[in-house]
Amino acid sequence: MIRIALALLVFITSPAFAQEALLDIKEVKSTGGLTAWLVEDHSVPVIALQFAFKGIGSALDPEDKQGLARLASNTMDEGAGDLESQAFQKELKDNSISLYFNSSRDDFGGTLKTLTKYKGKAFDLLTLALTQPRFDAEPLERMRNSNISRIRSSLSDPEWIAARILNDRAFETHPYAHNSGGTISSLATITPDDLRAFTNYFAKDRLVVSAAGDITEDQLASVLDQLFGHLPETSEVPETANLELQNTGQTFLYKSEIPQTIIEQMQPGIDRKDPDYQTAQVMNFILGSSGFGSRLTEEIREKRGLTYGIYSSLYDLDSIDGLSVSTSTKNESVSEMLRLIKEEWEKIRTEPVEAKELKSAKTYLIGSLPLSLTSTDKIAALLLSLQKSDLPINYLDQREEKIQNMTEDNILQLAKRLLDPDKFVTVLVGQPKGIENVQTIETLPNVE
Amino acid sequence: MLRYIYILLIALAFAPPAFAQEKVFNAEYFTLENGMEIVVVPNNRAPVVTHMVWYRVGAADEPPGKSGIAHFLEHLMFKGSLGFGPGEFSKTIRALGGNDNAFTSQDFTAYFQSIASKHLELVMRMEAGRMRGLNPPLKEVDSERKVILEERSQRTDNNPRAKFAEPMAASLFVNHPYGTPIIGWAHEMEGLTWDDAKTFYDKYYGPNNAILVVAGDVTGEDVFELAKKVYGPIPKINLPERTWITSPPLPGSAKVKMEDEGVKQPLVQLATRAPSARQSKQESLALEVLEDILGNGPTSRLYKSIVVEQKLASQASLYYTGNNWDDAQFQIFATPLPGTTADQVKDALKAEIQKVIDNGVTNEELRDAKSRMQDAAIYARDSLTGPAMIIGRALISGSDLDDIEYWPRDIQTVTAKQVQKVASAYLDPNKNQFITGYLLPKEKESVE
Repeated sequence: MIRIALALLVFITSPAFAQEALLDIKEVKSTGGLTAWLVEDHSVPVIALQFAFKGIGSALDPEDKQGLARLASNTMDEGAGDLESQAFQKELKDNSISLYFNSSRDDFGGTLKTLTKYKGKAFDLLTLALTQPRFDAEPLERMRNSNISRIRSSLSDPEWIAARILNDRAFETHPYAHNSGGTISSLATITPDDLRAFTNYFAKDRLVVSAAGDITEDQLASVLDQLFGHLPETSEVPETANLELQNTGQTFLYKSEIPQTIIEQMQPGIDRKDPDYQTAQVMNFILGSSGFGSRLTEEIREKRGLTYGIYSSLYDLDSIDGLSVSTSTKNESVSEMLRLIKEEWEKIRTEPVEAKELKSAKTYLIGSLPLSLTSTDKIAALLLSLQKSDLPINYLDQREEKIQNMTEDNILQLAKRLLDPDKFVTVLVGQPKGIENVQTIETLPNVE
Repeated sequence: MLRYIYILLIALAFAPPAFAQEKVFNAEYFTLENGMEIVVVPNNRAPVVTHMVWYRVGAADEPPGKSGIAHFLEHLMFKGSLGFGPGEFSKTIRALGGNDNAFTSQDFTAYFQSIASKHLELVMRMEAGRMRGLNPPLKEVDSERKVILEERSQRTDNNPRAKFAEPMAASLFVNHPYGTPIIGWAHEMEGLTWDDAKTFYDKYYGPNNAILVVAGDVTGEDVFELAKKVYGPIPKINLPERTWITSPPLPGSAKVKMEDEGVKQPLVQLATRAPSARQSKQESLALEVLEDILGNGPTSRLYKSIVVEQKLASQASLYYTGNNWDDAQFQIFATPLPGTTADQVKDALKAEIQKVIDNGVTNEELRDAKSRMQDAAIYARDSLTGPAMIIGRALISGSDLDDIEYWPRDIQTVTAKQVQKVASAYLDPNKNQFITGYLLPKEKESVE
């Protein structure tokens, strides 16, 4: 049973109260010295286990081997030990085990979900994949082809194109500007040795693990040693430099014969460890992250019918932080749209938000948390994301208290500090009318 | 270790599947005097609830010339009803920490909220209020019409693959309402009025055309009592019988080909019609098993043959929409590799189907597929909204609760002969039962 205290939120500001935690997270330590966070819940015979190696992501891909981390994530479950690709996948499938590896710019990780009755098999297969991945030629070639095909398909997706250009320009000079999914030519150069070398980065000092569901602390402790005990304590990993957002104030256009223009904008953001990060989350909720009820949606979709969707989001990477806004509108309305976004940026940094807006943002951000704790893998994912960001085990309770105490003035001061519409990097994909001072992009960067 | 577990599992696989006799969700069923059906899925993992109302009316019920009105009406349901001004419905849910949204299909329209269980009565009252009391201001209707046109541009017209789905559906469902896109044709959407929406609403939105599904931290009895109080007083409507015009048999080996400059990765598609669960339950179960054997994952027949062994395509996938009210679709997709023609891939796909028709499926394939599908039913319980979705979707399509609760048992009854028979009856390439779709780059050569 997951214990969640929803009621009496207003009384929890004093630490004198013995407070029931939002989520009963246990820190489990193995005999081998490994740790994991666990939420035990035996109501459904399902176990979810997730892990990540922090700082081991596609930002480490050499420029001529873009897509290396991604390809490693695609091939680690394609055969291990004595089991070739089809045999390994058949073992997973016949036991209804879901095992995936994933890579982001900053991390490499895996997610395992199994029914309790197959847990031994599930942990054995994951152990095998982590300790003896085969990286055989056949599956490597197949995954390479699949990635190239995915890139070609993405070339029909104007939102993907806009994101590609935004990454390239906003993160110019940094590995983040590269294509984490690889380019058609870089993918062709990646060898099994490259993949093996990549896995040599995996080490205990970078590992975070979470689990949820039908597993006890003792069981998890011994599984930790089975899965990760073989890893070296540390590994040699190149440093990734910090970066300021590049090309601020610039607008880039990629022409595409579509009825709309896709709009992507990004300005500098705020670090998750910044004491005002929560304030930024609340401000962003009111401004544009919340869809219906957010100011951007109200002004631009609800009042004017200019778009189907407009969202702002905080973008946290290890080496850079951004605040982005994404939308699309018919080509005739692009300049109006850009003006309206700018107006909302100005408004929230010059006038305090309304008390009602703040109250409803607080209730949502606190009250909706239990909605994200309704399945085993969602809980495991939440625990992992807290650990990836180096947050404390009682973070959810701290967060609640911090949000509860936030004032209109906190938001205003933060908005003044953070928001600056003159610092937008703007990317347009389409045939926008009446836009001046744009730099036209002829060839998509890091695709071919 | 590995081998021990493997032996144990073989033993398990031969044991009689006693669990297949258990109900999947243990849902409770009630009906109100006004004809409204109620299903409750108790789940006390977290103090939250999902409340859904499903109307048995969708795009396929639209009058000629009014395509998109079902979906337009879904949008207008958020634009003002008894006691709630435009946009206030979602804002109220949000301010209580909840999420809400809605979706429209050919067969149904559904509205849902997920929220702390203590707010269930309020949410119910709000949903009941817009079952009969919709009254959006006319200027909201005008701006929302712009929103759905932008939605169409964003989802369909910006994207060649989505555009291609329209002529494919129109060819597969000649003369049938499924041949018209849910979002509507743009030229008809432009002319949709409040009168059109109101006529549709008055005709179809009432308790005797609705199913309430509540999942979460509640009891069946409490929900029933609450629903009696809130939905009970709403009078029945005079519901027209649901009769749709039908499609003639497919006209031969029809082909749909679209060439588009935006396409860089070719796509081959085979599409045909097959019985839905409502039309023929046992055949539908056999088609579900066939879907799993042919198309589920990297060890499925199609992927193994076309992608791994013959290396003709980078992906091969398949789906069967057995939950349709009227004819289901059976669709196969593949993305040819460079150097392979679309027709080679098409022929290879047809050859795989022919193998099932000629030789059937093996007992091992059948047993493994059933076991995976039964495991999937256990995973389905590990969610709050998932069970509500599955149950609502099935009931609205004419299945009953036992069809869902005993689905694992029913799947167990499927024989290899039945699988071979449905393949032969509905998927025989020699009987010209497939429409072949080609989405190609706009050059002379189809690939490279």
